[in-house]
Amino acid sequence: MSTIHTVLPLIVVLPLLGAFSSPILDLISRKLKEAWILAISAGTLGVTGYVFYYVFKNGPLLYTMGATNPFGHANFPIRIVWEIDMFNALMALTVAFVSLMAIIYSVEYMKRDTGLEKYYPLILILELGMLGIVVTGDLFNFYVFLEIMSIASYALVAFRNDTWEGIEAGVKYMMVGALASSFILLGIALLYGQYGTLTMAYIAYKMAGHMTTTAKVALALLMAGLLFKSGSVPVHMWLADAHPAAPSSVSAMLSGLVIKAGGIYILARILFSIYGPSINVRTVGWIVIIFACLTLIVGNAMAVVQTDMKRLLAYSSVGQMGYILLGVGIGLAAYGSNVGNLALAGAIYHTVNHALMKALLFLIAGAVIHALGTRNLNDLSGIAKTMPVTSFAFIIGAAAIIGMPPLNGFASKWILYESSALFNPVIGAIAIIGTAFCTAAYVRVIYTFFGRPNSLTMKAKDPGKSMLIPIIILTVAIIVMGLFPWTINKDFMLPAAKALVNQMGYIHTLFAGGV
Amino acid sequence: MIPFQYITSFLLIFIGVYALIYKRNLIKLILALDIIDSGVNLLLISEGYRIAGNLPGTAPIYTGYETLKGVPMVGPLPQALVLTAIVIGVSVTALAVSLAINAYRHYGSLDIRKMRRLRG
Amino acid sequence: MFGYWDALYFIFIFIVSFLLALALDKWAKKSGMGTKEKGEATKVFISGEDPEKEIKGFEHLEGYYTGRNVMWGLTYGLKRVFVVLQREHTGLLTDYVSYLVITTAFIMAVLLIWG
Repeated sequence: MSTIHTVLPLIVVLPLLGAFSSPILDLISRKLKEAWILAISAGTLGVTGYVFYYVFKNGPLLYTMGATNPFGHANFPIRIVWEIDMFNALMALTVAFVSLMAIIYSVEYMKRDTGLEKYYPLILILELGMLGIVVTGDLFNFYVFLEIMSIASYALVAFRNDTWEGIEAGVKYMMVGALASSFILLGIALLYGQYGTLTMAYIAYKMAGHMTTTAKVALALLMAGLLFKSGSVPVHMWLADAHPAAPSSVSAMLSGLVIKAGGIYILARILFSIYGPSINVRTVGWIVIIFACLTLIVGNAMAVVQTDMKRLLAYSSVGQMGYILLGVGIGLAAYGSNVGNLALAGAIYHTVNHALMKALLFLIAGAVIHALGTRNLNDLSGIAKTMPVTSFAFIIGAAAIIGMPPLNGFASKWILYESSALFNPVIGAIAIIGTAFCTAAYVRVIYTFFGRPNSLTMKAKDPGKSMLIPIIILTVAIIVMGLFPWTINKDFMLPAAKALVNQMGYIHTLFAGGV
Repeated sequence: MIPFQYITSFLLIFIGVYALIYKRNLIKLILALDIIDSGVNLLLISEGYRIAGNLPGTAPIYTGYETLKGVPMVGPLPQALVLTAIVIGVSVTALAVSLAINAYRHYGSLDIRKMRRLRG
Repeated sequence: MFGYWDALYFIFIFIVSFLLALALDKWAKKSGMGTKEKGEATKVFISGEDPEKEIKGFEHLEGYYTGRNVMWGLTYGLKRVFVVLQREHTGLLTDYVSYLVITTAFIMAVLLIWG
């Protein structure tokens, strides 16, 4: 057992400890509890940072629950394993970072709310579920973490249960989400019945050359469930209802992380690492591309006509998920080629970027709501005069999400345009039309912010420290990530994409198991 | 021949999905989710069931197993999975029922056709 | 392999063009007939809308102007699309469920035929 095997379980243990100890500390003192929660989430960030560094230096990592190797006395893996390569490690780092920002933010943002002894455990459980999903290498373990994450997010969407909006959005999200989870469980059950194992890498090993109809049906169920969780277009409607209804700090986590860790990440993992070349990659890739094109057109277009600021941001999330899905689809349809790898790298890059940008934008929306009590765009004109820092951060975030050159959004979007144009020019054109809609939507908000102030906005002022610090950190992160796009792409994103495509490597990591 | 447990479980799932699409009472929808869960759990548990010859399987935690060679043992893994899935299903149901109570407070009705203020 | 770009170039170009614009402004002010620093000429004038103009009967809208109408041409041109998209977002739970079932059926059919 080396250090990394001792440290790695803390990824899940720390948030769990924090979640269930915070109500006890709340009885003693509120300040103490807040400090404890911040320490816990900062510690989680430290652990994920260490894991990321280790994986970056030493290559993929295998961890077996409660033992030294996954085999025991059998000749096939019977234990629950965690498999971490570049892709997982990057996602885990993003999740921990944005969660920390959201938690710092909620110290001040949620001050006026009641029920905080339930809020902080739920938000830590949400983080725990996402971290669990991104590190696990076992299908049923994944399902358990997915449900932990989903239940926490249903509860957080309906957290303000004195408003009709939260309850209605919560009911809709929960009912359809539970059905999607059942579909995912059904897919896992079918896969287990067919191959007799739940370890992802071992399923991949057994599936090579033994593709059956059952496995295809299972893939269809898994894909539909995960497309729902990632908010793809015909099944995006819950997202537009649920994300605005949650408190803004939670919206930032839902839009920035939950739809990625619980949707895109695991979808890519199942498509590439489990199914991979065993199935007809062109067909599956084109299915994903069709959904991606629908998503990025409809999501961005619907953002243009919204009058509610948070709803606009939620629809924009749908649109940006389209780009990520597009990268995954092209990566699958052009499996193993340079174009495919580049598209996949762009998708991973955009996942990280969008997590930062959308978290920033939702935190700003929260600051505006906190100061003015409204989120109707028609009432917000002229905020730039009274909330200069917030408005500046919003311009940076909006420019990044549109894809203005010196910021990080441009780098990832450029890679996606380039690879989609090389793959099929029509798809490249569709991607650019989506960006046109996206620009239109954000230009409306910026115009509003810089309009002439009305009597309401004259009274607003910039939020306090605890809300401003995460906003500033995220803004700086966006600017800094935009300064070194080529280095980041070459050193982190392309290796992550290659680790994802390398199915043999994933299987090999399992069989080379042990410490 | 397809074992009847499989057919039953898929029938349960279809009943649940039918009810989710065509029923309007929130409580009935929650019951539909439970029925779907039961269907999936039945499928999982029947996958672990093994019959060798005419002998039915024994429960996996059976201490006399070592002395009774030749008696098939049912797979322990699906049973563990189903236990977990049942626990998850219970917590989802509990949350759904509490949301239904809150929804009744705000809308004065459990009819989901009345709960459609979020549009467009 | 693919195209190359560096964000530092953009910042460099931005700084250079900013300095150029500043120099041009200075030069124009010096060599021109004098700039109006007060009055009508300093008003912000966006998309043909005069913020201080008063229209009889519409005083309740006066006082601020927003981004509401900025993308008017786009929304008007694609009105039909938006109406259809907004109509499809019915807010009915059963519709959401049926979309999920339709998606599943579509993916399953495609995978079983061409998978």
